[in-house]
Amino acid sequence: MKLDAYRREVRGEIRRLLHDPVLLGIVAVVFVLLAAFIVFPLIKVVQHSVWPGGTFQPKYFIDFFQKTYYWRPLVNSLIVGSLVSVFGMLVAFIFAYGIARTDIPGKGFFRLVAMLPIVSPPFLIALAAILLLGNHGVITDALRLNWDIYGLPGLVLTETLAYFPIAFMILEGVLSKIDPSIEEAALDMGASKLRTFFTVTLPLAIPGIASAMLLVFIRSLEDFGNPVVIQGRFRVLTVAAYHAVVGRFNMPLGATLAIFMLLPTLMIFVVQKYYVARKSYVTVTGKPSGIGLKSTEKHVKIPIFIALCILSGIILLMYGVVLFGSFTRLWGFDNSLTLDNYRYVFQVGGQYVWDTLKIALTATPIGGLLSILIAYLVVRKRFVGRGAMEFISMLNFAVPGVVVGIGYILAFNTPPFQLTGTALIIVLVFVFRRMPVGIRDGIAQLQQIDPAIEEASSSLGAGFFRTFTRVTLPLVAPAFLSGLVYIFVRCMTAISAVVFVVSAGWQLLTVALLYEVDQANLAAAAAYGYVIIGIVLAAIVLMRFVVARLFKGGLTPLGGE
Amino acid sequence: MKRMILCLSLLLVAGLALTGIAKETLTIYTAFDQDQAAVYIEAFEAANPDIDVEWVRLSSGEVYTRLQAEAANPQASLWFGGSNTSHIAAAKAGLLEPYKESLAWQYISPQFKDPEGLWIGLYVGYIGFVTNTEFLAEVGAEAPTSWQDLLKPEFKGEITLAYAFSSGTAYTTLAGMLTAIGSSEPGFDADDEAYVAAFNEQVGQYNTSGSAAATMVGLGEFGIGCVFSHDIVKKAISKGYPVVMTFPEEGTSYEIGGMALIKGGPQLELAKVFYDWAMTKEAQDLYKDFFRLPLNPMAELAEGSVRATDVNVLPIDLVWYGDNKDAMLDEWSEITGEY
Repeated sequence: MKLDAYRREVRGEIRRLLHDPVLLGIVAVVFVLLAAFIVFPLIKVVQHSVWPGGTFQPKYFIDFFQKTYYWRPLVNSLIVGSLVSVFGMLVAFIFAYGIARTDIPGKGFFRLVAMLPIVSPPFLIALAAILLLGNHGVITDALRLNWDIYGLPGLVLTETLAYFPIAFMILEGVLSKIDPSIEEAALDMGASKLRTFFTVTLPLAIPGIASAMLLVFIRSLEDFGNPVVIQGRFRVLTVAAYHAVVGRFNMPLGATLAIFMLLPTLMIFVVQKYYVARKSYVTVTGKPSGIGLKSTEKHVKIPIFIALCILSGIILLMYGVVLFGSFTRLWGFDNSLTLDNYRYVFQVGGQYVWDTLKIALTATPIGGLLSILIAYLVVRKRFVGRGAMEFISMLNFAVPGVVVGIGYILAFNTPPFQLTGTALIIVLVFVFRRMPVGIRDGIAQLQQIDPAIEEASSSLGAGFFRTFTRVTLPLVAPAFLSGLVYIFVRCMTAISAVVFVVSAGWQLLTVALLYEVDQANLAAAAAYGYVIIGIVLAAIVLMRFVVARLFKGGLTPLGGE
Repeated sequence: MKRMILCLSLLLVAGLALTGIAKETLTIYTAFDQDQAAVYIEAFEAANPDIDVEWVRLSSGEVYTRLQAEAANPQASLWFGGSNTSHIAAAKAGLLEPYKESLAWQYISPQFKDPEGLWIGLYVGYIGFVTNTEFLAEVGAEAPTSWQDLLKPEFKGEITLAYAFSSGTAYTTLAGMLTAIGSSEPGFDADDEAYVAAFNEQVGQYNTSGSAAATMVGLGEFGIGCVFSHDIVKKAISKGYPVVMTFPEEGTSYEIGGMALIKGGPQLELAKVFYDWAMTKEAQDLYKDFFRLPLNPMAELAEGSVRATDVNVLPIDLVWYGDNKDAMLDEWSEITGEY
């Protein structure tokens, strides 16, 4: 009975699709793109792992379980991921609670600090950690400490600082949108504030906390930049896969390692999306109410404020050390100031700056438009395969960058799909890597718009395309443009996927940073890092200015940010 | 607004496509350090203003890997620098193009070139130990003067060098260990396996690129590094770091820095221009700033560079180590657990 009803519904959808050729065309094109640039590379990775050269030969799969040194990196990665997700969540919670639920001063400042690691290129935090806390680091020597930052401690420290902002953004949203009336009810019934916190607030926030931890876990598993610098002998999977491919040309081994990287992240992604997210008790689509309960007691505010000051101090110290290092002659040894490192970046790396900008500025609008288009299709339209489209386009959220990189060179290295060595392959990596976040944000934006406006447009005779461009896009424009900046920033700071697809003709600044780190040219690396930060900050400021000028009158019902 | 964005991105894509049309461009892979390679390549471009060089810096082992990956569609035409054990391995795999017509190939002695003309020697280098003097004072030890010294308990976790598979420096070091320890027959014997396993326990961190160890030891992050003497002098001693350079008394390992044309490369004629230039006195005089020992007999040597007469050199069969690189690296990975 149910199956018949389902079949009837699908047939109805197919019929409706066939009647709207524009929609059909667009859906078909999107599916082809998703299949070619998300699914196909993953298939090649699986294929190369167990069918290298065409014959079924799961040598590395079997070796993986038998040889300790093959699976140890997987265990190490999972250990690091678990610790980072816990610590990252704790740090993020302090920031989120302090900003969303207390009335401490300096919130704007703390929020800026919490977002700083997002715009930061890879490697920098790890370099700072070595200079400050390494075997001969500034702090290590000053306090005569006897520890070894290389390995697990360094990985946990750097990745916690690098990824807590992700947890922060989720937790801030969750904590600020909890309906205050539930807490007020608890207080009215005589519960103390502490009891209310533990029995009402925290349980409501738990799905958000779980989501935050799972997403930080994924980011830690796919981290490449920090381990390269600071893993010591504590090997993690991403660097092992990179060496297998770039150091030994052992594609089957690299593909096998990629699969073992992919399995945990996929599982976590599915758990988060289909289990945890569904249990959210908080409306995530409304505007932050700002009328929630604020803790004003000193014994809550003061410790939080102190903790935030300390945490912010640590973060700013690390970035400050790197900034200072970019102006030194021999960072860590001869701290006399010089502009030589920046001259070096613009002389030797001048072409890299142009290449990176060209590619990022191409990928950003393409990625942004494709994301909002897919978000629109998923939210507003009913067609067969809609769920599949949403799932596939969000899939890259769970796929580690290293896996994408290996997949792309396996998929696009031979005719008829020869893209290696071109700028196009880098653009494609950027566009499809960044899409999931763009789509998720696009969906959130579109859900806030009353479909009635678009229905009015179609009932007046406008087709799908016209409605989309003349009605929908202008309504989401401010958020869309801000989303573009986010895509641009991620393009400028990406490393784990693109390190596999750069070539002599098309280099990227982050890969140049990697080369300098490889050769321990620390001051030059710091200079590259701050050139990237400079470009990113300029882009953010520019876009804020543009958005403010274009939407001065507050055209949209959404208001500003 | 949206139309503007679309137009802009279309224009950018068109622009990207158009930039493919350029003047004479030569693409090369180089294993010299990034800042060093820039000096040599800019000198070539100054001497040949109508050729524009695009280059990627990779460690020797990584260049070999890149050539294998691109075998069906080579992107570069010349391999400039890096320990020739990787060039030999690539030659064996059929990835290089012979070039016997070069004038340099005529006058270079046979031990510094491939008999078939598949690679030629640019410079020689000797492996040395670089040790941080402050570290020595702290632990109350002497700088190592033999391969066995490296196994001393006070050096545990203090040694740094590169992965044998990515770096020519590290592979050359490995070849030296295998020759000095146990029998000097090439390859792993029982003594060699025991030594490499014990040495592995002493290593605090492996790097990708060979010369990084010199800087890390200079900074005091690690106590001892195994690096080519020209890099020790350039990156540590001449910068003023508190280090001392020593050599193993059993004899040290050496490399021939190699250059080769890449088979099927898209700009072989331009590559030959670079190849010929790189063997001239003018080109090799540039090595002075970096303390490398040029193989062009007319080129100048720098004060402070380490000559063959200064060290005891092991009789290493570099050709054997080049031919058997893959097998050697597999065994190295088994023993060290690094891959």
